[in-house]
Amino acid sequence: MNLITEALERGESTLSEHASKQLLAAYGIPVTREVEVLRPEDLAGALDEVGFPMVLKACGARFTHKTERGLVRVDLRTREEALRAFEAIWPEAEQAAGSVLVQEMVGGRRELVAGLTRDPQFGPCVMFGLGGIFTEILRDVVFRVAPVTERDAQDMFSEIKGRRILDAVRGMPPADRDHLARILIALGRIGLEHPRVKEIDVNPLILDAERPVAVDALVVLGD
Amino acid sequence: MSATSPTYDLDPLFRPRTVAVIGASDNPGKLGYHVMKSLIEGGFEGEILPVNAKAERVMGLAAYPSVEACPSRIDLGIVVVPAAAVPTVLEQCIRKKVGGLVLISAGFKEIEDPAGARQQEALKAMAVVNGIPVIGPNTFGMINLHHRLNASFTPEFSLAGKGGIALVSQSGGMSHLLAFLAMNAGIGFSKIIGLGNRLNLDFAEILPYLASDPDTRVIALYIEGLDEPRPLLEAAESVRGKKPVLVYKTGAASTGDQASMSHTGSLAGRHEIYSGAFHQAGMLTVDGSEAMLDLGKALNVCSLPRGGRIAILTGQAGPGMAAADACEALGLEIARFGSATQSEVDRLLPPLAMRTNPVDMGPAWYDSGAIQGIMRAVLEDEGVDGIILLMMYASANREVVPVLSGLLNEWRQRKPLVSCLVSPAGIWDEAVRELEEGRALANYPTPERAAEAMAGLCRYACLSNTEWRAL
Repeated sequence: MNLITEALERGESTLSEHASKQLLAAYGIPVTREVEVLRPEDLAGALDEVGFPMVLKACGARFTHKTERGLVRVDLRTREEALRAFEAIWPEAEQAAGSVLVQEMVGGRRELVAGLTRDPQFGPCVMFGLGGIFTEILRDVVFRVAPVTERDAQDMFSEIKGRRILDAVRGMPPADRDHLARILIALGRIGLEHPRVKEIDVNPLILDAERPVAVDALVVLGD
Repeated sequence: MSATSPTYDLDPLFRPRTVAVIGASDNPGKLGYHVMKSLIEGGFEGEILPVNAKAERVMGLAAYPSVEACPSRIDLGIVVVPAAAVPTVLEQCIRKKVGGLVLISAGFKEIEDPAGARQQEALKAMAVVNGIPVIGPNTFGMINLHHRLNASFTPEFSLAGKGGIALVSQSGGMSHLLAFLAMNAGIGFSKIIGLGNRLNLDFAEILPYLASDPDTRVIALYIEGLDEPRPLLEAAESVRGKKPVLVYKTGAASTGDQASMSHTGSLAGRHEIYSGAFHQAGMLTVDGSEAMLDLGKALNVCSLPRGGRIAILTGQAGPGMAAADACEALGLEIARFGSATQSEVDRLLPPLAMRTNPVDMGPAWYDSGAIQGIMRAVLEDEGVDGIILLMMYASANREVVPVLSGLLNEWRQRKPLVSCLVSPAGIWDEAVRELEEGRALANYPTPERAAEAMAGLCRYACLSNTEWRAL
């Protein structure tokens, strides 16, 4: 993948959110519809293309904890809100030679996490669990060694303690487990096919009704 | 990985005809004394050859100055000499073509001095090149109860019941703990194996042997850490669905040590990855010593359920509620009886009792015919995958367990039946023990542990069956 070699050549240890999602999308993992704005004059076109409501985020190899740094603005509903958000984020993005992502706002309250880590003994391992702020609080995650099979993935869904989040709850449809399984299988494949990918973190992976969408993603590179 | 590791013939180790104790002694202050005692008191039926440089006789048996001086061919050598003497002994055993070794001697990889690890590497190279299988070093030994072979320094292991569970452990202390707990609970073993420092026999080498061992029905592994996990995963995959492999893995506390930029990386504790990998290879993980034995017993005795729909039959309401709560928390389903079953239960019990699942059979204490009728109807119900039977002793229901024996022995686990039959010592113990030995049921001291054993059977059924994954 050019994305990976280019980032390594630039001496970067992570892919930007946008590049991370391009890698995931190449493996069939559904990601948010988004436009990367590299210059302020491109903003207007991006707003038109993505449509409201939307999310604006700083994007670049150096932005790993965007929310904590105030570099994410969500649920922007008007052009004015979007412009104000851009003005707030752009200076820092520009300074870091980054960009601003204009992203569709994904509706859905169920947040999952999926990822890949490279274990010194087991090799690439795929992770699945509860996402968003619950990832760190509950640590309700399970792992499988790649390659992950359809059955492994389905087992992972029933192994998390919060498994009922995937059922039909509070008027929300049951999660599309087959679709989720394909995501976990794909993460395992990336791990096996790209030795330089050290970790992948898809968090949150939001259930938009029944459909999982990678709303944020981080690919960490290594030797 | 497995292709490059040599395979060994382990029969001389586990089913030897001739055993040499290298370092045998009459001095109770030496391990060589305790090993001799284990072999003799354990009733080993083959030939025992003590090897001792100075003594002519040990424990009344003719002793030899070296392995090579022994007149007969030796299947198994048990080595208890100091670490410094081990290389020489190994060379002699190789020249003598000893079939396999239990290397009890300590002072190798486990010591702080790196010389210990280097010495172990040298021994390993020698053993691998010459194709001699070695259990240990730094082990208490190994016991094959069906062969009356106690090749350990703990004679009391011979008192363990003969049964279907093979325990393979990385820790001598945990082997002793689990074996003694099991003895007290009346749980029997086929083999107890202490792997120690794993010179050239590791879990991956032992597993296929146990999988083809007719005396072993359940394989229980106690694991702290593995140098190379993949061979074990491959070995487990190869026995998947043939025999249950239980794993108790400790070492969860030392996880989360790697700094990481991502959630995935920082959450990837070794323990989480181990348990995921074990599950993936079809091994059933348990989270404690008690759970290991409870589930080992259930898997040894019970047939596997076809689903997770459970019937709870109880002699008193309270324990039935406790079992129902535990079942629900464990993801089991409280079965709905078929109409024929329900009308039979309604016919046999007065309306004042709980008559839908869980069934309170209390009002039928004095009517063993009614209890048998209810049991039979529920056992035969197509909508029930497993039964939990609970009965607390009272003077008035004393005869219930003996009366049920006939039916349960006849039924013999066509569906899994776990129970919590509890009385003061000396009342039901004998009847319960006979039912367990006849594999009619697996009994537990509490409703919660009975429910956990049932849930474990279901989890294993899911793991070994590609079609079903309800839990």
